[in-house]
Amino acid sequence: MYKIVKYESQDRMGDLICDNYPMLLVLSRFGMSLGFGEQSIGEVCKSNNVDVKTFLAVVNLLIDDSEKIPKIIDAEISIPALIKYLCNSHKYFVEFRLPLIRQELVNALGDNKNDVNLVIIKYYDEYVYEVNRHITYEERKVFKYVESLIDTNVSNKYNIEIFSKRHDDVECKLSELKDIIIKYYPNSSSNELNSVLFDIFSCAKDLESHNRVENALFIPAIKELERLKKID
Amino acid sequence: MGQRVHVFIAEPSPIIRNGVISVLKGISNIDIAEISDVTTLMAQISRYMPDILIVNPSYLGLFSLDMLRSKVGGAIKIIALQYTLLDEAITKQYDDVLSIYSSAEVVKEKLVGVISSSDKSIEKQGLSVREKEIVVCIVKGLTNKQIADQLCLSTHTVMTHRRNISNKLEIHSSSGLTIYAIVNKLVELDNIKSVISSDK
Repeated sequence: MYKIVKYESQDRMGDLICDNYPMLLVLSRFGMSLGFGEQSIGEVCKSNNVDVKTFLAVVNLLIDDSEKIPKIIDAEISIPALIKYLCNSHKYFVEFRLPLIRQELVNALGDNKNDVNLVIIKYYDEYVYEVNRHITYEERKVFKYVESLIDTNVSNKYNIEIFSKRHDDVECKLSELKDIIIKYYPNSSSNELNSVLFDIFSCAKDLESHNRVENALFIPAIKELERLKKID
Repeated sequence: MGQRVHVFIAEPSPIIRNGVISVLKGISNIDIAEISDVTTLMAQISRYMPDILIVNPSYLGLFSLDMLRSKVGGAIKIIALQYTLLDEAITKQYDDVLSIYSSAEVVKEKLVGVISSSDKSIEKQGLSVREKEIVVCIVKGLTNKQIADQLCLSTHTVMTHRRNISNKLEIHSSSGLTIYAIVNKLVELDNIKSVISSDK
């Protein structure tokens, strides 16, 4: 579906985004806007003060959908830039995407306050609550830890391995809701319901991509940082 | 085939039992358990709910196959272990027949065949009556222990049922099961309102 090539800083930003539309999300999470004309990836990153190596690492990881996690992590990726990306990504899900899907879901289910509709919305709300908890933990505990690691030294109380072990796949329960609606929702299918299902499919995929960045880039980068700090 | 298949061998002769086990050991993804004492057969079956039971038909004695199947909700595959000539009326009640003179390859082939057909049948099947009862209990917020007490089962059996329910429906959370139960009219929302509002 998308071209799988490795992008480099001299490639045009327009080519990257047009050939891989999900990268639109990466663009905005790094705080870059559209309208870059014919500029290269390097130029667009530079004019937006974005670390180009980190941007390319994320882009190339997400474009290559194969399951393998790259073994060698580019030591030159910027951890602050990656944290900013992850925080913006969290914000996107919590403040924009998930509330929008809820709104669509409510519309698609209609005014009928029957039992089934009530429990579906309840399921969804529980899910959002879990995502919030997941994200709050990352931002308050993990990112704070990493920031202090950059400034000072290794902490004995916490390390990234703890996070790595408890980092669960936050998208599973959302996919399950979609499966339940598809298999068991009694009403005849409507355009609204199809539309919200499409959105849930794509949101689950986005969440999976987000997790991939955390597992394949963020965690290994922090492990490397911990190793370097211990040597110091 | 993702998860492991539990195979029980009920055969009084230790020589034959161990022979069958050593032939089966070459098949990947199966767990083998043996039953040597016929009197414990029913109890063991309903406790551990194996996917496949290999049994000597003469050993089965007074237990009827239907009775065995009903104990485990119909999902079990029963294979006759044959070492004398048997009336076809008896063997046709079984899902397959293994002769002790079969080569190791044939035995493996048969078992793999039965395993894959049981995979398909699990997917096609809806929930058994027992499983539906358990869904209702889960939705009402009961713990495994409470469910076991209420339905007179062991907690181990309850957990096996829960695993089978998750596999059949591909629903892994209790709030997902709540939607399933409401849609399929297993419960009314009024019956579980207290659970729903006290969550979180």
